[in-house]
Amino acid sequence: MPLLMKVRSLVRNLFFLRRVETDLELEVHSHLELLIEENIRAGMTPPEAQRVARIELGGVEQVKEQVRDRRIGNWLRSVLSDCRYGLRQLRKSPGATTVMVFTLALAIGAVTAIFSVVYGVLLRPLPYTDASRIMAVFEVNSKGTWSRVADPNFDDFRDQNRSFQAIAKYADNAASVSGTSQPTRTTIAGVSADFLKVFGIQPILGRDFSAGDAKKGAGPTVLVSFGYWRQYLGSSPDLGQLHLKIDGAVYSVIGVLPAGFHFPQDADLWLPADLDGENPSRTSHNYSAVGRLRDGATVEQANADISAIARRIHLTSSEQNDYLLKDGAVVPLQDSITGKARPALLVLLGAVGFLLLVACANVANLLLAQASERERELAIRSALGAARGRLIRQLLTEALLLSLAGGSLGVLGAFWGVSGLIALAPQNLPRLDSVSINIPVLVFALLLATAVAAGLGTFTAARATSGDLRKGLVEAGRGQAGSQGGQRVGRVIVVAQIAITLVLVVGAGLLGRSLVNVLEVNPGFRVDNIVTMDVSLPWVDDPKAKAGQAIFFSRLIDRLKQIPGVRKIGATSGLPMDGGLPDGMFLLMTQNEIPKNLDGFDHLFQQKERIGNAGFCVATGGYFQVLGIPLIRGRIFDDHDGPDSPHVAVVSESLARDRWPKQDPIGHTIEFGNMDGDLRLLTIVGIVGDTHEYGLDAPARPTVYVDLFQRPRAAITLTMLSDADKRSVTSAARGILQDLNPEIPTRFRTFSQVYSASLGSRRFNVILIGFFGITALLLATAGVFGVMAYSVSRRTREIGVRIALGAGASDVLRMILGQGLRTIFMGVAIGIAGSLALTRTVESLLFGVTTTDPLTFSGVTLLIVGAALLACFIPARRATKVVPIVALRYE
Amino acid sequence: MSSEPTTLLQGTLDLLILKSLVAGEKHGLGVSRRIQQLTGGTFVVKPGSLFPALHRMEEEGWISSLWGDSENNRRAKYYRLTKAGLKQLEAETERWGRISLAIGQALEAS
Repeated sequence: MPLLMKVRSLVRNLFFLRRVETDLELEVHSHLELLIEENIRAGMTPPEAQRVARIELGGVEQVKEQVRDRRIGNWLRSVLSDCRYGLRQLRKSPGATTVMVFTLALAIGAVTAIFSVVYGVLLRPLPYTDASRIMAVFEVNSKGTWSRVADPNFDDFRDQNRSFQAIAKYADNAASVSGTSQPTRTTIAGVSADFLKVFGIQPILGRDFSAGDAKKGAGPTVLVSFGYWRQYLGSSPDLGQLHLKIDGAVYSVIGVLPAGFHFPQDADLWLPADLDGENPSRTSHNYSAVGRLRDGATVEQANADISAIARRIHLTSSEQNDYLLKDGAVVPLQDSITGKARPALLVLLGAVGFLLLVACANVANLLLAQASERERELAIRSALGAARGRLIRQLLTEALLLSLAGGSLGVLGAFWGVSGLIALAPQNLPRLDSVSINIPVLVFALLLATAVAAGLGTFTAARATSGDLRKGLVEAGRGQAGSQGGQRVGRVIVVAQIAITLVLVVGAGLLGRSLVNVLEVNPGFRVDNIVTMDVSLPWVDDPKAKAGQAIFFSRLIDRLKQIPGVRKIGATSGLPMDGGLPDGMFLLMTQNEIPKNLDGFDHLFQQKERIGNAGFCVATGGYFQVLGIPLIRGRIFDDHDGPDSPHVAVVSESLARDRWPKQDPIGHTIEFGNMDGDLRLLTIVGIVGDTHEYGLDAPARPTVYVDLFQRPRAAITLTMLSDADKRSVTSAARGILQDLNPEIPTRFRTFSQVYSASLGSRRFNVILIGFFGITALLLATAGVFGVMAYSVSRRTREIGVRIALGAGASDVLRMILGQGLRTIFMGVAIGIAGSLALTRTVESLLFGVTTTDPLTFSGVTLLIVGAALLACFIPARRATKVVPIVALRYE
Repeated sequence: MSSEPTTLLQGTLDLLILKSLVAGEKHGLGVSRRIQQLTGGTFVVKPGSLFPALHRMEEEGWISSLWGDSENNRRAKYYRLTKAGLKQLEAETERWGRISLAIGQALEAS
């Protein structure tokens, strides 16, 4: 019953407020009347009776307000009325409100967009069951380098560990797959048993690999991704009928994996690993390893566990060299995927956070200016019975309205921003596909807007309600009210703004200079006018079949030469900046030193003076001409280098310098058969210039080039230097390949695409941080302008007096600019100190500049001081134009 | 009316208002005067405390209100004890008894 009463009251208070209010009005008035009547009856004169009654009542409005405060639903009602009042207040100064809302929208939108990338890449759990329990397992060699795992080491990890409930190895590569509607170049992964168990998935159709599938010589079987099954296998439920031809061999499809599962990245087909038997070497790192932690096991335990096994192997193995593991490491799979992207993303998040602070500072300054205009209003409300808490709540509500409006606009903008970011993001940023504006990101944006509101609201409320509000009534009339304190706070805000902006712009400057430095590096090759064509034939082992592929490529190259506009043509196993070349150890040896069996090689690899390390690149002579890689000495491959003539090699300049410091390498012979299985010695015939295969910011890697027609391989990239446009070359080349063999998948790019993709992450950082820096600079300049203009308008009377007393225009200018300069210099000083402390966080992203680069620091300082002075100058000039008489009448 | 206003203990005002309404419905001033009379002038309830309390108690369902005419034919809002209010009065009275007994004992103890 009482509950029902309460609900009824609540409904009445919320929806029939007018009636409740008239009721209250009447009641208080009738009370007053009754009091007066009583007093008259006690013998007072009517005026006196009225006066005494009013004193006893204590103010009609106050009584009413006290009743309202106690009502059920009062809280809600007053929030609504705060909102209504706040909106009215914001509408009153539409200019300032618009500026504030858009400033906040810009900042909140930018933070939200960047956060969505950080969330999608770094924070969002991988899309697997209990993904945090999935670990990546690495070997660590004596130099502390982490690497993939060698087969026997993996077997020991798998059999001896006590921390994983399942552990598996995998290796992915591109293969040509036919037997479906069209031939494709598909990412396939060789995986060991338990691979699916690690990820906690099961085939939605068919079965997982059984022990029999992984046995040496078993009938080849394959698992397919859901997408591949739908697109190329027509979603056929009858797996028994499905066969795929992968690199020439026929595989039976035994299962379909759940939709969305593509691990390792982009994999569509999974085969059992080691169908040809394991590699017995403990230093051939051919597989990556993943494991799912046993219940209760921690990452630390797993780390200690794997590390102990690795050290045991290190002590007992016969293969003692730099490549043998010395330790092991276990990290969450998510960290191992995204680890490289982490520093840059966190720097971006920090930078956009700074932008938010600068934006909030501007809004705070505007609110501060408004609050001092409103001191009189606040004083009146306080006199009419509003408690201080109520006033604070009013100001908080206004701040919340502002930042929610800004936040919603910002989130709308972030939808755009995110698609822009995804388009702009470097190709090598992992997990880009999981970036979107989703619920967690929206929640973040809401929390951010609330936090901004709380910050701004508390700030204005603390400023506006500190001290005696009644003084506001007295002072507000004089137009100078509370100005001293308010202006000091305003200046402190501007100091902070300048400092933060300086840090941001210094960061952008350092990254920008790094980009310029990188671009100035000579890549060692030409970039423009080159069309590239990836061609992958089925992988074969048999030397005769390989020779056949070489003949195919030679025919293809001859045909492609005929395309109008194509001037030169070459082929390579790997383009620079396109993922890097495989590398390994070669041996310096002569023909009669070749050992009779493989154990003899082991012995040779122990001899330090014989071994060298280099990247291995298969190429044609034309490749050097197309890319313009200069010949330093000797010769490059030519038509005389056939499959049966002595095999030749060309080495890069850095390799010649490092490996043959005081000799001419030309004429020496090397053994590099571990790269392609061909044990014939290679005679060095030429030295060519270095190329930066791993990107301009990485040093050139020593490289050994071998001749495609002597050392054929299945997958190559053709490079065509052409004057014709890409489209015509592409369609002509596609036609030629179709004509030669319609089953071969291909892909066309321009080399400049490949090249600029390699600069992608650097450009991404520079563009974003540069954008944040410039925006912050504009906001800070606006902030300086606002504070100075406000200060001048507040000091109009004082300036008028000064001019009346004989101060000249230059004195006034000096006074105002001096005041501005003090603020600016303080901000710059703090900013420089802050930059020196903070630029260390971007150290890993820099190239060719130090974190304290004097040029960047002085340039940025000049820029900011210049912009800020300009912002001071306009109000300062206005101050010199003050006419004393007008100023003194100004009130 | 020479009474020295004493600060009311928390909850005491409710009790006094409920008690003042036992004898029949009253308007605000009537309640105030009745309390003054009941406490021998010790407590003067100002409108600023009285009205919020009356409205709150009405929302609690302890009292109900209706508009009526005063003895001099003035419109006034009258309050009346409800069943729930009567129950509340009993509970409050009992509680008050306990408190005053306890405090009395405490003060008498040496």
